Amino acid sequence: MSDKVVTLSEAVALVQPGDTIALGGMTLYRRPVAFVRELIRSGVKGLTLLALTAGYESDLLVGAGSVKRVRTCYFGLEVFGLAPMFTKKARDLEIVEETEVSLALGLRATLSGIGFQPARAWQGTDLLKVRPDVKTITCPYTGEQYVAFPAIKPDVAVIHVQESDHQGTAILKGNLALDREMALAAQRAIITTERLVEEVEGEIAIFGPRVDAVVLAPKGAYPTSCYPYYRLAGQEILDYVDACSGGDFEEYLAQFLDGKRGG
Amino acid sequence: MESVEVRLGAADHFTIDELIVTCISRQAKNGDLMAQGIATPLVVAGYILAKLTHAPDLIFGVATGGCITNSWAPLSISRAEEANLEKPLYIFGFDEVAGTLMFTLQPKEFFRPAQVDPRGNFNNVVLGDYYAPKLRLPGCGGIADVTNYSSHVYLYVPRHSRAVFVERLDFVSGVGVLEEERRGELSILSPGPRYLVTNLGTFDFEGGRMRLLSYHPGVSVERIQKKTGFPLAMAPDLHETPPPSAEEVRLLREEIDPLGIRELERLSGGRRRAKLREIIEREAEGF
Repeated sequence: MSDKVVTLSEAVALVQPGDTIALGGMTLYRRPVAFVRELIRSGVKGLTLLALTAGYESDLLVGAGSVKRVRTCYFGLEVFGLAPMFTKKARDLEIVEETEVSLALGLRATLSGIGFQPARAWQGTDLLKVRPDVKTITCPYTGEQYVAFPAIKPDVAVIHVQESDHQGTAILKGNLALDREMALAAQRAIITTERLVEEVEGEIAIFGPRVDAVVLAPKGAYPTSCYPYYRLAGQEILDYVDACSGGDFEEYLAQFLDGKRGG
Repeated sequence: MESVEVRLGAADHFTIDELIVTCISRQAKNGDLMAQGIATPLVVAGYILAKLTHAPDLIFGVATGGCITNSWAPLSISRAEEANLEKPLYIFGFDEVAGTLMFTLQPKEFFRPAQVDPRGNFNNVVLGDYYAPKLRLPGCGGIADVTNYSSHVYLYVPRHSRAVFVERLDFVSGVGVLEEERRGELSILSPGPRYLVTNLGTFDFEGGRMRLLSYHPGVSVERIQKKTGFPLAMAPDLHETPPPSAEEVRLLREEIDPLGIRELERLSGGRRRAKLREIIEREAEGF
């Protein structure tokens, strides 16, 4: 088996301008922060950001101007409040409304090789008005109306994991989000990992043969958490919120890119 | 502590946060599966209060950590994840949540809307015009999904105002009580929100119109109507909201939420950030 271990900058080179990039983890938990730092440094623009929920790392990407389109069902900092740069730039971004179902079933459609997955969702809401690409269908068996959620095809998925081997066979502990599905559905899958091992111990969540690159990135999710290694660093998230509300995002970003902030 | 202090007799007193938590707690029945979204400390406190009082067999489906658990720990910002994952009954991903568990298990869940209309439709997406918003909100998570089929949708609003309760929503992302004429065209199973608690009273949407069930101690019906942007219906047995018991207040302050994380939901701006910093610092000190 070939060794897929590369450096962060080699992994970032797998991301092309305009790609749809799926970020793993959940709000402030196990987010690929180290990867995002290198991605911003690379200067890649025009990305479509895909995430079940988008948090600190996504707000930095949006603030840095790397993102033109956002697809997520929640973009915020949980108890720390609104995501400041997303909120500020919302009018300039193309926001594709999503929900848990549209994201989960959109990926499932891709993984099943079909154009859509139906669900009981979205009817009676304004989501269908602002997503004219999403159609309804009539169930051939019950005659009921369902919404047909179109397949979602990420170009790249980036998942931060607790433990991976050199081929990308990896385990996840908690906050599974849509990580397994993103890694399988993407054209290119990148794993960043707290620990690089010869053989993983625990229940395997990431299918290694579909992984393209593995990067050793200890504390690679900080200041978001990586259970059980480190907790959510609330102080740092608060510092970020305070910097943004004081108009100092650029200064924070410069420090973040220098590695003086967020890890 | 919150400055809004409601006196009840000589010895007994409680804050409005504690009353909201108690109202949430009373909606949980023993054996229920209660879903916890993100950033909802009043709700988490309410569920735990129910478990420690009338509903010991309560089960929690938690977004933070991504699991189902029947254990609990005091409210915490930095430790919630590890507490939830300590002894899970089940670990889930969101493919399973969205495609299987939410419909099959039908958990009860309290949502916090930014706007609510008279029929109980609600909005968590945007304030103002969708394409030129006054304020973009985080998004609706799975609300537009579950409100198509769930019989267990509950709402809470920590700051009742005419900005929240509006005749017409800026955006519908949660479905309320459907008009009869729309039932035929839409395959919606949900009857709409079952219950709503705010800092002023409790409500339901019986008959497709927001209806006052009870007013909180010290709050007049006139004030509630004045703070609501449309006429309210009144329940025939309209009454004062029963206050928390002394034991419920003790549990909340001493066992469930000694750091006062629940208060964050009613604070905003600089006061909120200061409270957050205080909580984070105390947690870092190992509290």
